[in-house]
Amino acid sequence: MAIAVKLDDLLHDRRMTLTELADRIGMTLANLSILKTGKARAIRFSTLDAICEELSCQPGDLLRFEPAAAAGKRSASR
Amino acid sequence: MSKPTPSSAALPIAHAALRILIVVNWLMGAAILALLVVMPNEQWIMSAFKLSPSPDAARLVMGLRAIAVLGLAAIPLNYVVLRRLLAMVETVRAGDPFVAANAARLQAIAWALLALQLLSLVVGAIAKTVSTPAHPLHLNAGFSINGWLTVLLTFLLARVFAEGALMREDLEGTV
Repeated sequence: MAIAVKLDDLLHDRRMTLTELADRIGMTLANLSILKTGKARAIRFSTLDAICEELSCQPGDLLRFEPAAAAGKRSASR
Repeated sequence: MSKPTPSSAALPIAHAALRILIVVNWLMGAAILALLVVMPNEQWIMSAFKLSPSPDAARLVMGLRAIAVLGLAAIPLNYVVLRRLLAMVETVRAGDPFVAANAARLQAIAWALLALQLLSLVVGAIAKTVSTPAHPLHLNAGFSINGWLTVLLTFLLARVFAEGALMREDLEGTV
């Protein structure tokens, strides 16, 4: 996927763990892990909304388009 | 992400019934093979069917043998259907039936059913050819609108399953 998820960076900046975020937005740690590791195929607006709300960020801070990295990642994972 | 399925008597019954049918199918195959190999004697068949020697009777015996051979060909086709149905029932029991493997299984079942319908057409035609007023041959074979509808429905269901499996995959990756 050419879309990279920057959740790790956001959490690091805010000194927050993935478990804490999962608790605060009412998502399972498993699902949030899928998002963090870039294995998600789709993201709900409600999920995006909850994360942006909790981390006081914009969707653009969370997602980034990275074509070159994506090509390598895709060939490695498939 | 497999959800626990509510317990139902239908699945264990289907599972047991299919296992029994698989054995019955092999037994039928063995019986047909025995008829063809162990008892090829024309006299024996004539007396079993109370036929008097005549060209018609000889044709009937030939026809019966041809039908037995076709019956033998139906055994592996039945096995394809039953074995794959059993595997599908197992995925339902495991709580994850919407997988690509089940779509492939349904596709294989559809092809096997199509072949069985074609066999039935041939058997029906043979029965019609060798049947005479003196020696009528009534077989439950030939064209069956229900049979062909089942074939169509199974092909359609295979496509539905393939689409369903894709949607399931998408849903699983949605956070």
